[in-house]
Amino acid sequence: MNTLTTIDELGFAPAVQQDVLEDTTSDHALLEATRSGDHDAFAELVSRYRNQITSYIYRMTNDYDGAVDLAQETFVRVYRAADRYQRSYAFSTYIYRIATNLAISELRKRKRRKLVSLTGFFQPTDGGEAKELNPPDLRPLQDLELVDTERRNAVQRAIGTLPEKYRAPLILRDVDGRSYDEIAKILETSEGTVKSRISRARGFLREKMRAYL
Amino acid sequence: MRNNNCKLICRELDELMLGEAWSAAATEHLRECAECREFHVQQTKLRKIVGSLGTVEAPADFDFRLRARLANDSSSGPAIYWRLVRGGLVTAAMAVIVLLGVVAVRDAMRVGENIGEVARKPEVHQPVKTDQAPPPVVREDKKPDQVIAGVTNEAPPIVYKSVRRPPTDDKKRPLSSFAMSSTRASVLNGAEPAGMSTAFPIDSSVQSFTVSLEDGRGNAKTISVPTVSFGSQRIGQGGNQFAPKRDW
Repeated sequence: MNTLTTIDELGFAPAVQQDVLEDTTSDHALLEATRSGDHDAFAELVSRYRNQITSYIYRMTNDYDGAVDLAQETFVRVYRAADRYQRSYAFSTYIYRIATNLAISELRKRKRRKLVSLTGFFQPTDGGEAKELNPPDLRPLQDLELVDTERRNAVQRAIGTLPEKYRAPLILRDVDGRSYDEIAKILETSEGTVKSRISRARGFLREKMRAYL
Repeated sequence: MRNNNCKLICRELDELMLGEAWSAAATEHLRECAECREFHVQQTKLRKIVGSLGTVEAPADFDFRLRARLANDSSSGPAIYWRLVRGGLVTAAMAVIVLLGVVAVRDAMRVGENIGEVARKPEVHQPVKTDQAPPPVVREDKKPDQVIAGVTNEAPPIVYKSVRRPPTDDKKRPLSSFAMSSTRASVLNGAEPAGMSTAFPIDSSVQSFTVSLEDGRGNAKTISVPTVSFGSQRIGQGGNQFAPKRDW
């Protein structure tokens, strides 16, 4: 009969350590540490989300420099409001909600200023849907990579023409791959509304991207 | 032709993630319905293109800029606060100073108005004897034959009639004063030559003025004032020397 010499032989030790490790490195724990003045914890949060948030805002606004500024503003707001953060939502939902609000505010500001995008679109004066300035080149391209690049650029421009209420759920779903439930929480709306808007957004995109499909 | 079943199947396919397995009913329907199959192919292609956009990376100096921004915000926060507080205090102090200045100027202007008012109407406050004026004002709880201020009934009492101004005047001129005297002031008029009036009994333009003073212990001092000329003295036609300049 074998006798146990150490507690590790029970096989529980690694699982316990893993739980503790996950708990101390979760987003909530990092934000708690940030609240108590741990700057390294906040730096860890930034490193986790900086690319996602920058990319999301860039897809929303179609302006990289502006997206970087807004992403920084997102983290500044998270840092300032760390004391008021509630754990009822996931931290990713919380930070995406801030980023969405900032991006939508920026889009509305641009609309008020009547800014014209430099990526090849112009806004019609009758308030209708934006039209593409440069129609897609239908001639066959030799290089497959060029075709992919052209498609990505075209879809990026087409997303930029979507109304903001369709743009955000489409990006969150098809680019970021988030669930309907999470998108509904981020946008503070119902799941049914999210599904409906995504379906409408895809319909718009399909019409615009017909040459590439 | 699309029917309700097509809509349901397309919705189901649309809501699934790419690569996620769909139901057997959807598989069966796609095998039969070419339109839905075409729609599904296009939709899948579109979602692949959108999904191929991928993630854009943040710039390399993202953390550095963020730290600088946070540091700048934390340092400028109290500075902005104190700047606002200082600005508020300065504004409040200036408002108080301006208010005090306005009050002082207004009071000074009212004092000037009151001086002119008193000078224009000196006769209002003169004593009036009872035989020429209405009966003396007495309190209601006193009997009519009671004596006021130690004056007996035999001698007709001199009653000082106070002329009350309307309430609006009191509000406008809070610093007004009344000269109460039983002795009538002598009035200078143009009939007497200057220097011979009762107000100044010596004709100072002709003779010198000498005064001897003794302190009671044998020490006497004499003060001699030479002939004084006051120049030409103008007297107002109405006898009112305190009237404003426009009356001259």
